Amino acid sequence: MYVAARGGEEAIQNAETLYRALNGPLSPALVEGIERALPYLVDRVMAEGSLYAPDLAALAIAQTGGDLYEAVLLLRAYRSTVPRLAYAEPLTDADLVVVRRISAAFKDIPGGQVLGPTLDYSHRILNTEALSRDVQPEPPAEAEEPAPRGYFSVADWHRLNGLLAPTAKGEEPVAPGELPDVTRDPIAFPAPRAHRLQSLARAETGGVLALGYASMRGFGLIHPTVNEVRLAYADVRLRHPITGVAFSLGRARISACEVVNNMADRLELGFAATLGWNEVKIIAGAMLDMEMDKADAHPAHTEEFVLYHTEAVESSGFCIHYKLPHYVTFNSGLDALRRVLLKRDTEQRKRVIDEPVVVEGEEALA
Amino acid sequence: MNLSDLSTPTRDYSYAFLDAFAKRELRRRILKAIAIPGYQVPYASRELPIARGWGTGGLQVSLSLVGPQDTIKVIDQGDDQSVNAANLRRFIARMSGVATTFDTLAATVIQSRHRVPEEILSEGQILVLQVPDPEPLRRATPSMTIAREMHADADYAVMWLNLYEQIVRYGEFTGGASYPVLVHSRYVMSPSPIPRWDNPKLHQAAHLTLLSAGREKRLYAVPPYTDVRPLEFEDVFFKVESQYGRRDRMTGATHKFMDEIAHADGSSTFSLSDTGYQDKLVKRQSGEAVTVGATYYDDHGEFYHAGFLKS
Repeated sequence: MYVAARGGEEAIQNAETLYRALNGPLSPALVEGIERALPYLVDRVMAEGSLYAPDLAALAIAQTGGDLYEAVLLLRAYRSTVPRLAYAEPLTDADLVVVRRISAAFKDIPGGQVLGPTLDYSHRILNTEALSRDVQPEPPAEAEEPAPRGYFSVADWHRLNGLLAPTAKGEEPVAPGELPDVTRDPIAFPAPRAHRLQSLARAETGGVLALGYASMRGFGLIHPTVNEVRLAYADVRLRHPITGVAFSLGRARISACEVVNNMADRLELGFAATLGWNEVKIIAGAMLDMEMDKADAHPAHTEEFVLYHTEAVESSGFCIHYKLPHYVTFNSGLDALRRVLLKRDTEQRKRVIDEPVVVEGEEALA
Repeated sequence: MNLSDLSTPTRDYSYAFLDAFAKRELRRRILKAIAIPGYQVPYASRELPIARGWGTGGLQVSLSLVGPQDTIKVIDQGDDQSVNAANLRRFIARMSGVATTFDTLAATVIQSRHRVPEEILSEGQILVLQVPDPEPLRRATPSMTIAREMHADADYAVMWLNLYEQIVRYGEFTGGASYPVLVHSRYVMSPSPIPRWDNPKLHQAAHLTLLSAGREKRLYAVPPYTDVRPLEFEDVFFKVESQYGRRDRMTGATHKFMDEIAHADGSSTFSLSDTGYQDKLVKRQSGEAVTVGATYYDDHGEFYHAGFLKS
């Protein structure tokens, strides 16, 4: 078999070798350390990589030296090779093991405000002690009573009070396998709700924040209130294909946010959820979800704009593609430019010849 | 006979990387694209182990086409050795075991970014063009939704208006690469950012051209022997890039698409953009036996479909 290979291939192989040498060795200990010590980073890579696999996400972070766009791409590319074997059972709010849930809409809510693990009310001070000695976190205080298994949904309270439209009754829930899947179908606009929520769940955190923040700051039409933010563990439940018995494959960290907006005669709900614990992303995402329903939303807050431009792999990939050679297209443009310049030059010369000679002073008389 | 004769050994990856479902989807979309020349067919577009925007659309098509008997050529800007072309070729060969070549005539599948080779492609060959932006109406509207409606209505007035404005303002068409074409008298299509020099090569071509944008999730096709006409007026004509006075610095060849090599004193020299073709000319000049195919433009710059390019 004839294999075409010359300078280009050697160069790219050397470049990769240099990169890997500078990044240093990989080891199971490094990957485990990243998974244990950087859970929020691992969460972010899993969400944007659209694959819940903490060990693989930690490996991706290690292998790319922490270049998150590259790490996300690694997970996405790996995901393309994995077959889809089954669909998990749908979950409701009540099925989640909630560790944190707060509402800004009420001082207190049924089940209580549960702060859970958060830095929200902490002083953001660098712990420089840790530069010179080991610092052990204090053990958390035990709760006086065990947390309830599930929490009452604040949105349900709104529904009970006739403030929010009731959820559609009598409709059979869509079978998981029938749900539109943004990884298997091309997206078209207006997007099915499933595509929208899936896209937001996979979206790049910074992109969602930038567009969401623009909406919050004043380019949006809405001023919503956070109805509920939840951090939870979700059981991934499957039904056994033969016995039909439901069983848990394991738990995934998830986060979800609802925002409500007062529409004068009713409340309106925006929602976003993602794999991992990422409050910034779900709050901005829920606001965008609501904003994207508006008829005359700012152009940067239309569904097409938001979903296309917050795609982590596509946006970062296209951005770096500008490093590729473009000399053929550039040359094609130069040819067009030179034609225009030549034409202008020729016409100017013609004009100089054609125009009558202006005698000094004649201009003033004209 | 035993069981191992009947089964295939376990592999880490499917043949040619993509799983069978992804390939089936792609092949169906490709057939649809061939059936509706120039129409952009949406597809799911899987992530591949190279960055998005680096040829993942073309790569998915190539991976769904190749079989063990194929020979693949990959070029970027006409150059087989360009680093990304080398990387894509290495990936396709690694995942599918196909033979690779620099010779346009020897390839069954040619994946290309920004160029169509100079030697005339023949029946049975497939040209896969990588597409960054499939939408020729993008400058008229950045919205894919509105652009789709315009295509459905064949509402291309804005394209003609744009050409007219170029003439009024600059006296010339100012478009560089990606010059829009009308396919089979129906769909306005972006030929991908190939130079205008390459646009006519798609017209009534013997080969099949597949164009695929992985990031934008659209693929489209020009079947063999299909009309592909650049947008032009009855009295103002589409022009290819002038190669007048340009000579290849290695072989002295003329009337082919040239790369301009800039020098510090402000001057330029020129080199054939199609390096596979250039290689063969060099070999022929040094007396090696080599088959150089007929080219779309002859040594006097005449295009092989006489009269297609008006002047």
